[in-house]
Amino acid sequence: MKASARLVVALDSHGNSVVRVLRSMTPLTLVPHRRVGPLALVHLVSSVTAPLGGDSLSLTVEVGPGASLELRGVAATLLLPGSSGEESSSSVRFLVEGTVRYLPEPTVVTSRAHHTSVVEAELDGHAQLRTREVLVLGRVGEKPGTLSSSVRATRCGRPLLHQQLVVGDPLADASSAGLVGKRVVGTEMLLDSVERGTDGGEWWSVVPLAAGGSLATALGDDVVAVTGVLDAI
Amino acid sequence: MLTALILADSRFPGGGHVHSGGLEEAAARGLVHDEPSLRAFLHGRLLGAGLLAAGFAAAAARGEDLDMLDAELDARTPSPAQRSASRAQGRGMLRAARRAWPSARLDALPRDPHQPLVIGVLIGEPVEAAVTCAYLAVSGPASAAVRLLGLDPFGVNAIVAALPVEDVASRACAALPALGSPALDLLAEAHVRREGVRLFGS
Repeated sequence: MKASARLVVALDSHGNSVVRVLRSMTPLTLVPHRRVGPLALVHLVSSVTAPLGGDSLSLTVEVGPGASLELRGVAATLLLPGSSGEESSSSVRFLVEGTVRYLPEPTVVTSRAHHTSVVEAELDGHAQLRTREVLVLGRVGEKPGTLSSSVRATRCGRPLLHQQLVVGDPLADASSAGLVGKRVVGTEMLLDSVERGTDGGEWWSVVPLAAGGSLATALGDDVVAVTGVLDAI
Repeated sequence: MLTALILADSRFPGGGHVHSGGLEEAAARGLVHDEPSLRAFLHGRLLGAGLLAAGFAAAAARGEDLDMLDAELDARTPSPAQRSASRAQGRGMLRAARRAWPSARLDALPRDPHQPLVIGVLIGEPVEAAVTCAYLAVSGPASAAVRLLGLDPFGVNAIVAALPVEDVASRACAALPALGSPALDLLAEAHVRREGVRLFGS
């Protein structure tokens, strides 16, 4: 299945963030909340089981100056294999001049899945973007398939964060310099002008990025613990 | 070739011996305590941090813009402790290199450059620079393990010799990598916070 969806949010003359373009394409179904205000709320619903091997999904999100969008998932995503071992891919591209919070539910890398995920964000000078990713390496008792998940964010063309995480190499996943054998990896990218110092515990940290913004990272054995750390930031 | 040998030599006076690449923190937590756990640590370090550093050394050796590479490597190094360890090692290497191999391109490096950029500029040949950088990503932690844990130097050397350093270096030359190392970042930040005696700067 190939699908591309697009969401455009802009500020109207009354100071409300309104959805100007809403183009869903199964399985990427965008459901806007019926309310009027400074923050537009849209849910991203997967209307068919996806992604399966062979699927290619892409979503573009544009938010204009002064506008605010919260884009939320509703259910965990299961990365599943296709019938003949093809790869699946998904991409989300943000073009932000306002404020965006992207809060998808966790992604579970099931065995035999072979997926590439890319998040790209272009911010202007005043844009703010907060995105979360929680990866679960296999269902309970299951070894994960392979996943490459990368994120690249720039502000006015200058790189803020560029990270790729690869899971599925048993030796590297178990290594204390890899994922320490933890089943859940959570990150939250906070690209804003808020000054946050460095903070952390045994397997989590919040750190300031070199070119502005912060990154929170948490490793854990279950989703509740990892999202608990990210929620507290 | 000689430059690469000198840079990879533990007797090179670049200050690399004060960095353990996260090994000290991993050893303090008991995550690395014997040869098998060290092998796993070094394997993970090579495939993540080693590949990333090697890719940037290769790009600097190819003659790519050094300010661009510096900013791109910063964006790929979210942990301030890791950024400062990389720049401290770059600064130390540059100090020794200015005397040994003065050049205009060395002067074009940004202030306190990331170490892979210094290695790339000095060696000037992408594959050699990548191999040197990938090797240094594991040789420092390996020798730290001998000092901190009293492991058998012959056994540790055999582990390093069996690591796929050349394979990782050749992959690193293909495109500018962006591999992250979440656990190494967390270990590096925890190492900075750790109170009490620390033998290594990172």
